Amino acid sequence: MKLWAYVVRRLLLFIPTLIGLTFIVFILSHAGGNNLVLAEYINPRLTGEARTLLIQKLTEEFHLNQPLYIQYFYWLYQVLQGNWGFTTTPIFSGTVITAIDLFFPNTAMITVVASVLIWAIGVPLGIYSSVNRDSVGDQVLRVGSFTLYAMPIYLIAVALIIALGVYLKLIPFSGVVNPILVSDVSWYKNGISYPTHIILIDSMLHGAWQVTWDSFLHLILPSLTLALATVASIIRILRASMLEVLEQDFIRLAWSKGIPAKLVYNLHARKNALLPVLTLYGVTVAFLLGGAVVVETVFSYPGIGYWTTQALLNNDVGGIMASTLLFGLILVTANLALDILYAFVDPRIRY
Amino acid sequence: MLHLERMKGEEENREAKKNNESYRSGRLENLKVSVSVFIANKTALAGLLIFIIFIADALIVQFDPQLIGIQSPNLLVPNFQNPIPLPPSPEHPFGTTYPGIDLFDGIVKAIRIDLAYSFFVVAVGASIGAIVGIISAWAGGMMDEIVMRLTDIVFSIPYLILALAVGFILGRSLWHMSIALALTWWPLYARYARSQTLSTKELTFVEAAKAGGVGRGMIMFKHILPNVLPPIFIQISLDLGSIVVIFSTLAFIGFIPNADIPELGYLTSLGLNYVQTAPWAVIFPGLVITVFALAVNLLGDGLRDVIDPRRRS
Amino acid sequence: MSEILQVRELKEQFYTRRGIYKALNGVELKLNRGEVFGLAGESGSGKSTLGLTIMGLLPRNASILSGSVLFDGIDVVAPMRDYASKSNHRFSFRKNERIIKKMNEELEGVRGKKIAMVFQDPMTSLNPVLEVGYQIAETMLFHQSSVLAMRRLARAKAKRADLEEAMKVIKNTNGDETVVERFFEERGLKGLEEQVLSIWRRPDLPDARKEKLILSLHSEKLGAFESKVLKLVQERGSVPSWFSKLPLFGRLAKKVLIKEGYRKAVELLSTLEIPNADKIVRMYPHELSGGMRQRVVIAIALANNPEVVIMDEPTSALDVTVQAQILDLVKHLKTKFNTSFIFISHDLSVLAEVCDRIGIMYGGRLVEVAKTREVFESPAHPYTKLLIAAIPTLEEKQIQEIGGTVPDMRFPPSGCMFHPRCPYAMEVCRQRVPEMVKVSSDHHTACFLYSQGEGST
Repeated sequence: MKLWAYVVRRLLLFIPTLIGLTFIVFILSHAGGNNLVLAEYINPRLTGEARTLLIQKLTEEFHLNQPLYIQYFYWLYQVLQGNWGFTTTPIFSGTVITAIDLFFPNTAMITVVASVLIWAIGVPLGIYSSVNRDSVGDQVLRVGSFTLYAMPIYLIAVALIIALGVYLKLIPFSGVVNPILVSDVSWYKNGISYPTHIILIDSMLHGAWQVTWDSFLHLILPSLTLALATVASIIRILRASMLEVLEQDFIRLAWSKGIPAKLVYNLHARKNALLPVLTLYGVTVAFLLGGAVVVETVFSYPGIGYWTTQALLNNDVGGIMASTLLFGLILVTANLALDILYAFVDPRIRY
Repeated sequence: MLHLERMKGEEENREAKKNNESYRSGRLENLKVSVSVFIANKTALAGLLIFIIFIADALIVQFDPQLIGIQSPNLLVPNFQNPIPLPPSPEHPFGTTYPGIDLFDGIVKAIRIDLAYSFFVVAVGASIGAIVGIISAWAGGMMDEIVMRLTDIVFSIPYLILALAVGFILGRSLWHMSIALALTWWPLYARYARSQTLSTKELTFVEAAKAGGVGRGMIMFKHILPNVLPPIFIQISLDLGSIVVIFSTLAFIGFIPNADIPELGYLTSLGLNYVQTAPWAVIFPGLVITVFALAVNLLGDGLRDVIDPRRRS
Repeated sequence: MSEILQVRELKEQFYTRRGIYKALNGVELKLNRGEVFGLAGESGSGKSTLGLTIMGLLPRNASILSGSVLFDGIDVVAPMRDYASKSNHRFSFRKNERIIKKMNEELEGVRGKKIAMVFQDPMTSLNPVLEVGYQIAETMLFHQSSVLAMRRLARAKAKRADLEEAMKVIKNTNGDETVVERFFEERGLKGLEEQVLSIWRRPDLPDARKEKLILSLHSEKLGAFESKVLKLVQERGSVPSWFSKLPLFGRLAKKVLIKEGYRKAVELLSTLEIPNADKIVRMYPHELSGGMRQRVVIAIALANNPEVVIMDEPTSALDVTVQAQILDLVKHLKTKFNTSFIFISHDLSVLAEVCDRIGIMYGGRLVEVAKTREVFESPAHPYTKLLIAAIPTLEEKQIQEIGGTVPDMRFPPSGCMFHPRCPYAMEVCRQRVPEMVKVSSDHHTACFLYSQGEGST
């Protein structure tokens, strides 16, 4: 089938997946019974008559006395409208939508930077490792990536903190910017920068280059941690994939044509070897998202991961459920994008 | 002519003898080759050794903690007189972490807890997943579709976050954390087992067996399972490391409130605030986890070398 | 008839987990210019290995113990053989890989240009993510870029009048090559002749359309910079390496040349009787049928008009009709370009069709080499005799099988490889390895039955 037909088909698959996602989040959020739902909106200090009245009112408003499958549709309706509930955490209290609006850009920032790092580092190293099989460099890389793969993300984060932040005193490892620098700046209020909520970009827009540099420094460790945690498996997969491709007949044909080795590796082999990596990148994105939760917590980086752990620690139901839905949404969209990208890259899929 | 016939006859006799012997000795020879391949792999051996040490630790603490001086295997013992982390010394071989917990003591206890719960997660999650996957692939049709959709839905949420959410709903305790992890883990195995079963099912020798009139149940047991189970088993051994890591990660970010429980991730988080002044407090617990995960991975790799027929030649 | 390729005393083995496979045990082969040499044998006889070794395409677990492969003044296997003799059986995969890389580098000038190979399975021989036309054009880029440049420049320079005149010449001489060539050369339009003639010879177009196409080959605009680059390439004979490394310019040169390569690929494919070659060239391998794919592989091999082409079972994966076409092609190329072929096959009847001489391989050695006719009419070696007797024919007869099985090359038999299965085996066959002896003119075989009275006992 032609390329566009494939894209359309894939988009159609997107919708039931989304529905499934919303369904599972709904089940989760109501699995603890109505109490959990109500807890989101009721101030725990409220007692007595006022409390019962409030509970009654909320039960009616949220149709909590209806059977579950009916509740689902009311809930879904709310979600589609943008009403994702409330969150109460030390770093932020208010509607979930606002929380997402404020925190998501930062998470996007570190995950994108991490992805760029992963590809920029992982691909050349993976190819090098396979082309120079069993060389010293290859063995070092294999041991290194094996170790990184075994290390929990928080440990990589801590190791980087110790190495770069403490001993070499090079890079800051907490927060997103040095508060002194932004203490009286027009576009930064209460920890939120305008208009994009990403300090790096906003400072550039406002020409505050010192702030830009500082926020860039703050960006390094979180992104680097994410990248290091993931690049290990990319290198392994790419190496294995390249080794398999290099055994193939068409590579032997390429050699028999007398074309330079560089071309054989970087065109003939690499193009084929990257395909499985791309296929598995969906799993990598899932890993990145989960990793963002840990990384942001360790570095106190105000993104949706940090918000999630804060919600967890403060028993904020609304926060947890909303963040689950959000992460699911991001992952499903990312998978869609990856599938379409793959169709562009592998000619065999299209026809 | 005579010469030719005589030679032919001898040849046939020799071959027949060889065939018989090789059938019986074939399996023994295979086992010997397997073991020798495994032993030749030094890293896998190292992994096995380390793994055994960890298991030994867990067993000792479980059955005879007094042997190495452990008093309360399920609790961390704080020392509020001296809450600030102390560097390693003869008294505290790994130093202490906040609030005054001896790291060696804590780690030895934590290994048992981590291993126990992780084994549980893997055993339950993997078994259920594998069973579901194999049956789903074998049965095909509607059931297969349902299982596929179900796993798709579970995969649409990053597993750390899903485990977090499920665990939160169940209640924030160590036990519930394990259940949550098992619940989020089984779809992976279901998918994996399913694809293994499907690819084995398609192989011609299964068709040959069917054509020969072998019953469906027999095919399942004698042909499919022996091909499907080994890779699953290897995947399980590899995943043990991953599960311990994820388990400790959840504990690290504070899943369990008011924890006094010896757990490697939790121990690491205790030292986080003192990372500048007392790096050992985070290094030691983290190192222990890494070493375990490494050992398990090496072990799994070594097993895979042995079992995967392609790697043998 | 001069020798163009020589294999001397080649001994090769492969290191595997299950043991050391002694694949080649002293192969002696001489290939003459313009000859089609058939290499026959069962699977495991080493014929494919021999083909790959001649090309220098060795896997990392291969080791050349002794011997040489002489082609174009180079000993193809020298580096690996030297390594094996120096290392004294301490074999390191890593070092071996480095040697293979060195060999690849040394052979870059020869492979694809003077010697080429066609592999067995066209499904796996082509790179699935690259267009078929690119794969053909690529080999031209590296080995005849000056020709490509020349063609492009000629098209830019030519005027319509030139082509109209050329058309007349073609019609008058019915596409005589020498005349047409001289015509264009006189006008400084060298490079146009092959373009024009290939259009003229296309079987799938009507004459009127051909004329139109030929006449359209004029004044194709060329940017000033492109033109300079192409002239440079034409003079130098190839894209200078420093140039191709320059980011933008190098890319530009490559792009223009590859584009021209596509055009030439279309011409090549038309010669191989592929219809709609201009559409095929933009397709991917999986979109083509097996026969078309194999023709693409052959086009790649022939693109630069090599002196030697090694074909490893080129017809085994294809059906009989395509097989016939390919055999015809081989014959045609032999007569037209004097190309030498090494045709590897397990099917003796295929070899009978097209080969001048046939060599029978067994257990990593050549056991008989003779002219085709003699192999079939008066085979000398017992193995050959049994092979021929095993060919099913139209006459009613009992199919003779050869008792026993191909030897396990990890533990090859002593002396003559065939002695365990040979109906005429003698004591000496078990003890010593038979040398190639002459049976009659240009007919040799390695068998003690024929060396009686010659030398030792």
